[in-house]
Amino acid sequence: MTRHDRWLLWLCLAPTVLLLSVLMYYPMIGTIIESFYQTSFIDPEPTFAGWALYEQVLSSRDFPEIVRNSLIWTVGVVILQNMLGLAVALLLNVGMRGQGVLRALVMLPWVLPGVVAAILWRFMYDPQLGLINSLLLHLGLVENNAAWLADSGTAMAAVIVAAVWKGFPFSTLIFLAALQGVDREQLEAATIDGAGPFRRLVDVILPAIRDVMLVNVVLTTILTFNYFDMIWVLTRGGPQNATHIFPTQIFETGFGQFRFGEAATYGVFSILVLAVLVAVYVVLQRASANRRRTS
Amino acid sequence: MVLVALQILLAAVVLLPFFWMLSVSLKPPEEPFAIPARLWPESPTLENYKSAFRPEFRTYFVNSLVVSGATVLITVSLALLAAYCFSRTKLLVISALLSLVVLAQMFPHAAIIIPIYKMMRAADLLNTHASLIIAYVSVTLPVAVWMLHGFLAKLPISLEEAASVDGAGPVRIFWQIVLPLTRPGVIATAVYVLIVTWQEFLFALSFTSTREMRTLPVGLNDFIGQYGIRYGELMASSMMVSVPVIAVFFLLQRYFVAGLTAGAVKG
Repeated sequence: MTRHDRWLLWLCLAPTVLLLSVLMYYPMIGTIIESFYQTSFIDPEPTFAGWALYEQVLSSRDFPEIVRNSLIWTVGVVILQNMLGLAVALLLNVGMRGQGVLRALVMLPWVLPGVVAAILWRFMYDPQLGLINSLLLHLGLVENNAAWLADSGTAMAAVIVAAVWKGFPFSTLIFLAALQGVDREQLEAATIDGAGPFRRLVDVILPAIRDVMLVNVVLTTILTFNYFDMIWVLTRGGPQNATHIFPTQIFETGFGQFRFGEAATYGVFSILVLAVLVAVYVVLQRASANRRRTS
Repeated sequence: MVLVALQILLAAVVLLPFFWMLSVSLKPPEEPFAIPARLWPESPTLENYKSAFRPEFRTYFVNSLVVSGATVLITVSLALLAAYCFSRTKLLVISALLSLVVLAQMFPHAAIIIPIYKMMRAADLLNTHASLIIAYVSVTLPVAVWMLHGFLAKLPISLEEAASVDGAGPVRIFWQIVLPLTRPGVIATAVYVLIVTWQEFLFALSFTSTREMRTLPVGLNDFIGQYGIRYGELMASSMMVSVPVIAVFFLLQRYFVAGLTAGAVKG
């Protein structure tokens, strides 16, 4: 590589590296710094607070609720979304006529803007006017108009269902691609040996797509943990904190109440959770790359 | 038989909410929406669309168009340059740098938004298109670089070597050989960036404070309160927000699906 080429190389990389350093990497550190300074709506000038905000957040009634909600929300969405995503991918992979159209249609919820999807589901869940209640009443499954989003017992399940509907096509897309890599001869051999569809799935298909599955689960975990739009539009974290997760709590504390320091403290906790998830992701990614290299 | 039934069920689950959105948006206000009322409007009308397409909506639409358009252009250009360099260099520093770039796609936006907000405030950029474009370019670059890198890494390098032997410089090689071959990748990446920025909500909600600067997702969220239970107009607005991005997706989806899955499965 000539000197001129090297100069050109760094020139090409400079804008991307610079932007990401200033607007993605620096703010990670900035949030940590911010979490040691207290601000409020009345007193917007930051004053150093040491660990005070951490003590305040950790001892607050909200904190355990938010941890619990984030856990339920993330695990619920990830498991359902990937199971549904895989089931749909298997269904769309059987090679029937007209499947091309269905494959494209299935992507619709994912393409739909998040706020639109949330508004649509808000309307679906409307106690009097919504489709959910009118269907359930019609089928005789419920007796009165349930307020799915306003009841703290059902709100979390309701936002999870909406998020799964919005997110499963992404998992389907990845799984469909992975299914193309399953060895056809092995499948045929299994069929000849008398393996039914279930055996073929467990013995041939799942082992073949295991790596993609693991990576996909971790990736959707990270994206779900960070997902703000759906819950904010559906419930704003309510009723009584029943659906508040880290992103909604950070936004409300920071931009609703202008307590930036406290919001940043919640931010630091979510960065820590994320760091663990990213580490898992990197390890899985490495392991799967190594397996591919050796096989 | 079971498979056909399952496919019909799948189509119903996916499409019913859409169908209902369309149906309600076409119903005159007097007509009830819910079952046992009829699912399809008895006398479809564009009334809701006319009243939903009010001046604010048009402002939001233009804002979204400006912000998304600029972001797609800038992100794809910067990502193409960066991805090309990443894919044509074997230096250890460079591949470590690529990992750092790609890693940034997983950062929690809510957790890093406060320092970004303060920077925008210090630069006097709050409540401008520029603040959103800068933020959107930063958050879309990691995936854009990753997608384009996937494409470029698969291009045979022999073409470029041949051109180099013939005396073409790196800039000419990029323009005349690499760029035309990467077209599908560029389209796929552009569609991805458009889908992401067209719906971006958190930054737009935090950085814009006046109606003149709101984008469609934030404007739509504001409508919830304003429309009360006038769901017809709300659904008509939702349709108008969704149709552009759905249309782009369906026109270009064969590029997009190939682009996203190539990178994803390859890792």
